[in-house]
Amino acid sequence: MLWATRRGCHVDRTACAWLIKRFVDPEANFAFFKDPEEAPEGAKLFDVAGARLSHHGEDCSFETFLKEYDLQDPVLSEIAEIVHDADLMDEKYGRSESEGLDVIVRGMQLALPDDESLTRHTDALYEGLYTYLGREVL
Amino acid sequence: MGKTRWLLLVYHLPREPSRHRVAVWRKLKALGALYLQDGVAALPEDAVTREQLEWLQLRVREAGGEATLWEGQPNTQAEDKELVEAFRSSREEAYQAIIAGAERVRRKAELGGGETLLAELGKLEREFRVERRRDYFRAASRKEASEVLKAARQAVREGESPSGKLGTGSGD
Repeated sequence: MLWATRRGCHVDRTACAWLIKRFVDPEANFAFFKDPEEAPEGAKLFDVAGARLSHHGEDCSFETFLKEYDLQDPVLSEIAEIVHDADLMDEKYGRSESEGLDVIVRGMQLALPDDESLTRHTDALYEGLYTYLGREVL
Repeated sequence: MGKTRWLLLVYHLPREPSRHRVAVWRKLKALGALYLQDGVAALPEDAVTREQLEWLQLRVREAGGEATLWEGQPNTQAEDKELVEAFRSSREEAYQAIIAGAERVRRKAELGGGETLLAELGKLEREFRVERRRDYFRAASRKEASEVLKAARQAVREGESPSGKLGTGSGD
C-alpha cells in the first residue's frame, strides 16, 4: 500500500513510518508531499490534519496508530510515550528519552538529503529502541 | 541583513468553555510565541514551529473556534528588528531566574553542600534546556546562564567527592 505524509518528518512521522513497515504493512511504500493537495491519489494519509491516522485530542499520530490498529504491545506503548513527549513537548509522560530523541532526529533531518533517506535511517533508531525497551519492559 | 520569516496564528475561540482558550494560550507560551494582538500569535518560521502551529490550528478548529496560519515578513527592517528584540527580552526573565538559582546552588555547594543540591541543579538545567529551545534569537543572558550552570555543576561534583565533603554525613 502507498502511505503518504507531509515532508520534513520529525519524531512522530518517522516513528509512524517504522511502525507501519514493522507492524502494519511490511510492503509499505511512502510518498512525502509539501501540500496535502499534492498527496497521491489513493494513498493512505497519516499525520496530516484532518486524516483519521493523525493527532486526535491529546494523542499524537503514533498513539492514534496503536489505537486504530489495536496494537497492544507494552513496548510499543512505551515508545508511544516517548514519541508523544518529543512531538508535543508537553511532558505528559515525563520521558527523559524524548529530549535526546528529539535532538537526534532533528539533527538527522538536517544532515540527510530527504525524507526517504531520513526514514530509512530512523528505522534503525526505533528498532533499537524497541529491542532495548523490550529487555527492560518484558 | 535579511528579514526573518514569521508564522502568525490568527485565532478566535468561543469564550466558554474556557479550558480551550487556556490550553492554546499555554501551548503558545510553551513554544515561546508572542502575541502581537489578542488572538494573533507570532513565531519565527522553522520546521518545528510550523508543525506545532499547524496542530494548534487544528486544535482550535476542533474546539469550535476559527484559526488561520499565515507566513510573512513585516514591512520594514525596523519592525522586524523590533519583533526580534521583543522575542529576546521575553526570555531574559527566565534566564535571570536560572542564573540566580544556579548561583545559589554553587554557593551552597561551596559551603558544604546538602542532600537536595543535585536535584535542585538538575531542575535548573532542565529549565535551561527548555528556555534554550524557545530562545529563537539568542537572548543576551543565555551564555551567562550556561556558564553559571556549568560552574554550579562543578561545585556540586567537587562537594560530593569524599575528600571535599564537609560533614554532611549522618554523624556516626
